[in-house]
Amino acid sequence: MKAFFRILPVSFVVLACLAGSGLSAQDWVHTGTNLGNDRIRLAAADFKPVGQDPQTPALKAAFDATLYNDLNSAGIFDLVSKSLIPQATPGSPQEINLPQWSATPSNAAMVAFGALSATNGRLVVYGWLFDAHNTVSPQVLGKQYNEVASQDMARTVAHRFADEIILRLGGGINGIAETKIFFVSSRSGTKEIWEMDYDGQNEHAVTHLGTISISPRVSPDNSRISFASLGRDGWDVRMYSLELGRMVNFPAGTAGGSNQSPAWSGDGTKIAFSSSRSGDPEIYIADASGGNLRRVTNFRGPDVAPCWNPRTNAQIAWVSGRTGLPQIYTMDQDGANIQRMTDGGYAISPSWSPSGQFLTFSWNRKYGPGAPGGQDIYVMDIASKRWLQLTHEAGSNDFPSWAPDGRHIVFERAIGGHSQIWSMLADGTEQHQLTHTGNNFMPNWSWK
Amino acid sequence: MMDLLNDGERLERELTPEPIAAPAMGSLLLHGVLAGGLFAYAIIGGLFHHNFWGSPGAGGAIQVSLVSSALPLPSDQPPNQNVLSTETPSKAPAEPAPKAKQAVDETAIPIASKQKPQPPQKQTAAKTSPHQPQPRQDNRAQYGEQSGSSMPRATQAQTGSIGPTSVSEGDFGSRFGYYVDGINRKMATSWYRPEVDPRTPKGARVYLTFTINRAGNPSNVQIDRSSGSTTLDRSCQRGVQRVDTFGPLPTAYNQSTLKVSYYCEY
Repeated sequence: MKAFFRILPVSFVVLACLAGSGLSAQDWVHTGTNLGNDRIRLAAADFKPVGQDPQTPALKAAFDATLYNDLNSAGIFDLVSKSLIPQATPGSPQEINLPQWSATPSNAAMVAFGALSATNGRLVVYGWLFDAHNTVSPQVLGKQYNEVASQDMARTVAHRFADEIILRLGGGINGIAETKIFFVSSRSGTKEIWEMDYDGQNEHAVTHLGTISISPRVSPDNSRISFASLGRDGWDVRMYSLELGRMVNFPAGTAGGSNQSPAWSGDGTKIAFSSSRSGDPEIYIADASGGNLRRVTNFRGPDVAPCWNPRTNAQIAWVSGRTGLPQIYTMDQDGANIQRMTDGGYAISPSWSPSGQFLTFSWNRKYGPGAPGGQDIYVMDIASKRWLQLTHEAGSNDFPSWAPDGRHIVFERAIGGHSQIWSMLADGTEQHQLTHTGNNFMPNWSWK
Repeated sequence: MMDLLNDGERLERELTPEPIAAPAMGSLLLHGVLAGGLFAYAIIGGLFHHNFWGSPGAGGAIQVSLVSSALPLPSDQPPNQNVLSTETPSKAPAEPAPKAKQAVDETAIPIASKQKPQPPQKQTAAKTSPHQPQPRQDNRAQYGEQSGSSMPRATQAQTGSIGPTSVSEGDFGSRFGYYVDGINRKMATSWYRPEVDPRTPKGARVYLTFTINRAGNPSNVQIDRSSGSTTLDRSCQRGVQRVDTFGPLPTAYNQSTLKVSYYCEY
């Protein structure tokens, strides 16, 4: 009897544990393959203007246009045309009539709507994302923004809302609406580093060095830009701090020889670049502060244009001329395990995708006098070396750069001596020109 | 031992120069033959090209693809095997082929087994947009007859059976249908069909369960019901493990995890 009472509390504890595991109130979802996956049909309604402030219509126009553009260029939506959506502009969840939006002709699966008001110099935006097929609990997102009333902030708020929608519906990949593109422009007379929004808005100069500055690469935390600049002693890799607004020191990049094409590692701690201080351009790696310089390649023939694997930060792809024409190679960051990616032609300017799976580069597969070659942008799967040609017979395309969502690529297109910056989806569709003034080169998409 | 030669003969022998002319000529001749042979081998061997760096020519992309990798973009057609649409581009952009109207024969008796299955509702709905302005056609690959895209994309238009997503206890599926759609889309990218043994019978299904945390990361992948084909089971498991995140769980869902039962059908 005593033994029974002794084990009773223990048995209670054991029973309680067993019972407790069944009490975890989780939900179950059952789903599977072959259930039909398409682009999401999204309707972006015009936002409802609230209040009589004279600023509101202009700000609302900028907001609506920016939101529509962001969602349209995300690459994952089938956006309902503005001519097909219902005429109503619902401003709140009580005002929206969902069956109207999910019926023909709009056939929307998701609706983004809200209200915008600019009163007393403050821009207040309420935005909702509703699931048009779910009449019981349609709300997916409900957001509120309160900013200074200006055209720039109207665009910024639209970018933020679009990013939220893309994050929710795009499988956990962040939207790129708030990212920037850094590029080289010669419109001021000398080649300087410029910056613009990802959709081509808000172009402005960053450096004012008065000399030739090329191949800008922004750091992963958006704090510094490293680039190659022609100085007194030749080409140097230099650093500009966006936070301080001035040039900062990068000692590793100013030794003898030509130092070019810097590339940041994904964690922002290392910079790889090409230097000919030993007589032949080789790849070097230094800390972001400029110390701990070490050489990584040791072959005859130029080794230039490195780029890191942003996923592992342990591999580098670069261009090497060791077999004659430039080809793309990959190696570990200590120089081991060199693998050749391209099997001929003229391949330059590699850029590694954020997922670590793809390389994009500029390739002329049939290079040579009289050959029907064109410099085009290609995407190659590194593991299988399958490639996809993205541009076809439209100018000379070079310097591709991946967007952080892995869905977009920005590149430079030169037609008849004029170079402009274009962006496109990573399958070659939706090619849009971003810059229109002067000559613009060598774009670099920011990391976030 | 007695020296068989007397002094005179020995001296004569020592003073007589060794005959080197003949051996030297023979040696030179042998060297000449060897060098000539090497030279001839180099010349003639160079006439027969060896491919040390893989197959020559422009279309040298290696088609072995064991690792799943897909661009995270939707696509309307499945990937084809052409590395470039066609080597002979047409002179003008190819006109889209007009849809051939199938003449309905009034007198034909419909044969039950030969009835075409109804196209899924979703596809017809997406095509009722006659007022849509034509998308800009510049810089699209209009070459030849086929759009070139050998790279698999995230979502392909499914031609298989489209059944309803079955939802079990708990109302997650009805409240957050968009999230379940997101899971389907993500798995369509990451599950790689060519990993499965082609002898697996069509329609074989493996049922997996896994747990999604608040941030959308899957974990604890278990095989609930095997399909009988180990390659299908393993490829489905790998497909789930490949996914980083399905997207953050809906804010209105207040549990910390979500259990998903997913089937891969070959």
